[in-house]
Amino acid sequence: MPPELIRQLRTPFLTMLTLLALLGINVVLGIFFITGDMWIAEVAIAAAMVATVIVVAMEAHKEPPLIRLFAGLGFFWVAILFTLTMIDYATR
Amino acid sequence: MNPSDAALRDLRVPAPVLAVPDDYLHVEQTLGSWILTTDHKRIGILYLVSITGFFVLGAIAAGLIRLALIVPDGSILSNDVYNRVFTLHGVIMVWFFLVPSIPNTLGNFLLPLMIGAKDVAFPRLNLLSWYIFVIASLFTVFVMIWGGVDTGWTFYTPLSTQYSNSYVLTAVFGIIVVGFSSILTGMNFMVTVHKLRAPGMTWFRLPLFVWSLYATSLILVLATPVLTIALILLFADRAFGLAIFDPANGGDPVLFQHLFWFYSHPVVYVMVLPGMGVMSELVTAFSYKKIFGYKFIAFSSVGIAVIGFFVWGHHMFYNGMSPFAGLTFSLMSFIVAVPSAIKVYNWAATIHKGSIRLDTPMLYALGWIGLFVIGGVTGLMLASTAIDGQVHDTYFVVAHFHYIMVGATVVAFMGGIHFWWPKITGRKYSEPWGRVSALLMFIGFNMTFAPQYVLGYMGMPRRYAVYPPAYQVLNVLSSAGATVLALAYIFPMIYLIWSLWYGEEAGDNPWGAKGLEWLTTSPPPKHNFEHTPMVDFDPYDYPNVTPEK
Amino acid sequence: MSTAVGIKVEEHFHNAEQQRETAKLGMWVFLLTELLLFSGLFVSALVIRVLHPDSVTAVALHLKFWIGATNTAILIVSSFCMSGAIESSRLGLRRPMIFCMLATAGLGVLFLMLKGYEYDRDYVEHMTPFLSFRRYELVGDPASRLFTDLYFVITGLHAIHLTIGIGIMLVMSWLASRPHFLERHQNRIEITGLYWHFIDLIWMIVFPTLYLLNR
Repeated sequence: MPPELIRQLRTPFLTMLTLLALLGINVVLGIFFITGDMWIAEVAIAAAMVATVIVVAMEAHKEPPLIRLFAGLGFFWVAILFTLTMIDYATR
Repeated sequence: MNPSDAALRDLRVPAPVLAVPDDYLHVEQTLGSWILTTDHKRIGILYLVSITGFFVLGAIAAGLIRLALIVPDGSILSNDVYNRVFTLHGVIMVWFFLVPSIPNTLGNFLLPLMIGAKDVAFPRLNLLSWYIFVIASLFTVFVMIWGGVDTGWTFYTPLSTQYSNSYVLTAVFGIIVVGFSSILTGMNFMVTVHKLRAPGMTWFRLPLFVWSLYATSLILVLATPVLTIALILLFADRAFGLAIFDPANGGDPVLFQHLFWFYSHPVVYVMVLPGMGVMSELVTAFSYKKIFGYKFIAFSSVGIAVIGFFVWGHHMFYNGMSPFAGLTFSLMSFIVAVPSAIKVYNWAATIHKGSIRLDTPMLYALGWIGLFVIGGVTGLMLASTAIDGQVHDTYFVVAHFHYIMVGATVVAFMGGIHFWWPKITGRKYSEPWGRVSALLMFIGFNMTFAPQYVLGYMGMPRRYAVYPPAYQVLNVLSSAGATVLALAYIFPMIYLIWSLWYGEEAGDNPWGAKGLEWLTTSPPPKHNFEHTPMVDFDPYDYPNVTPEK
Repeated sequence: MSTAVGIKVEEHFHNAEQQRETAKLGMWVFLLTELLLFSGLFVSALVIRVLHPDSVTAVALHLKFWIGATNTAILIVSSFCMSGAIESSRLGLRRPMIFCMLATAGLGVLFLMLKGYEYDRDYVEHMTPFLSFRRYELVGDPASRLFTDLYFVITGLHAIHLTIGIGIMLVMSWLASRPHFLERHQNRIEITGLYWHFIDLIWMIVFPTLYLLNR
């Protein structure tokens, strides 16, 4: 493997390790720490994994602002779907 | 001279070769060059032919509905057939006519021209979008005529998942596939506007039609996938007993409605926003005046698209949703009316003191304003939960949405077709006939749908084949109006097609309008512009003409 | 051995830069639609959770947590391979790129195999309420059917997307093995990479939603 490639692979490799580590934490929480409110931490870790994939693996941090806008727009719209639907179910 | 000498002489003279112009229509004329085209202009025409066909089918279904409602006892069509007819009407008109109408015909044709590009961003995806549309929509219509679907175009559960005996599964499958066509178009248009503008064409130099197409595409991209999921879940519920919408197993039918209307409310803005875009083009050209409040209109387009996503619950006020949610959606629905109103005020201000020409497109545009205001204000009435409690599921709602879908979208579509007909075909249509049709449209439309407001307020429910005899007079009036409206659709089909062969040839800019599309030939060459235009002028740079007092 | 890297510009674009950016924006917009697609399912899962919390927990305890977790890890590693393919393509290294793409596809196939095994276990353990001919394990708790069926819809839809991704990966590997590919179509590797990362991303939301949060 040529040295330039190995250099370029540093970031993806660290990303993979980060994601596996976060996954590991979530797995441990899921097996040993089943308390009522643990889901908050688990969601936060999952969100961190999603953010890592978008920003680092999909290189959103290097892209022009337009692409970053679209990446964020998607989650904003998902938030609209969730929030307004749950307003119904939470207040019945 | 012997007649046979002349014949022999003619045999020796070579046949004349007509100089075939190399515009996009004539440059190649084989069937293959049409159905394998990646030229956005030809794809626009392919869509135009397709949606006109569907419009005719949907209009026949509407004719059957109005026919059946002439008598109050349902003796013309049986209940089952009536249910299938109004479902067919709804499905065809919403998905196979209105949603693709302006964006896929006028939008496809004009978007690259208006931004100074040679084509859309992904020409092959554009063609694929048409193929998906035609194949899936023909499949769905076939299924719905062969056996029929009786759930209404809204496919509410649990009727659609458990109790209906009609071809729900196959029809829903077809509609899921058609959705991909919308998504591809939306994607294509958004990326085109972002990336393929000519040098100097900044966002605020774009024609407002482009802004409205962009806002429309935003909705198509964000809303259609949720419809896809709603229909996939419906399919799975019906086919495999998923039970997610089945109250007997703890499921919630209202969940289907949340997912369905998350798409289906924004889709009505997909129908109206391009019409609003056409309006901006028409009122400027036919008042020969710069648009009033360009940025207000541009931002309102995007505003309508965004806020339109917050209001879907107003279709569900009385379906078991929580009242607090109803309050929220009601408030949002009031707010979404604001950008629309802003636009209407700006167009009125544009027309004011303009040099007005009452040509056919302008007649349609003026009619649009009146009909849209009525439709919009009645929409506000429906947004109020108290009034909606009285008129939900009555003809009041039917009248409201027809004022918008027909009174606004179809009228704008007709106006746009007439305005850009010379550009698309290189021919002018017969102006007197155009004006007659515009007038017939306005008269026929009001005759058909204004009585329905009264019927709804008086309590006549929608989707009923049988009604109390007290409602008959208004129903007959409405059906009579429908025949006048039918003429308003038939005349343009005749004279527009006639003009293709016998119409006067149009020059590059028969209306004297501003915009990049008018700077190229009619019809345009295959690659739109001989040289890429450099844009250093504002849109609608008409001289502001103040008539002498 | 490295080759030149570039893209063949299509006629309606002015230059390669415009074509690249257009293709990339197009893929991001497409992924936006995919996100909304799966979100409809996620919101349904949340609704079912709010309506029937205990039934959902009962189902979650029957799901194969370890297979789900292992599959998550497999996709994470496959994403790393995909990044390897992208970096190789940028440097013009044809063979490492093809190797990485095949590894990515291979890990995807491994995921599907584990998923198939998991579905088989579900069938054996009578956790398939949508099959009317088979007894359902949690039949005393009708609301649990909702979540179980939703689990099949979500993982099934994801598996379909993954299969399409594997197919694209294999086709791309075959195309890339031909000469001059990287000079003309390097762009395509980047675009395919975005799609693959996204499949991984969706699974990172699926795993907690189905397997983890409801335990």
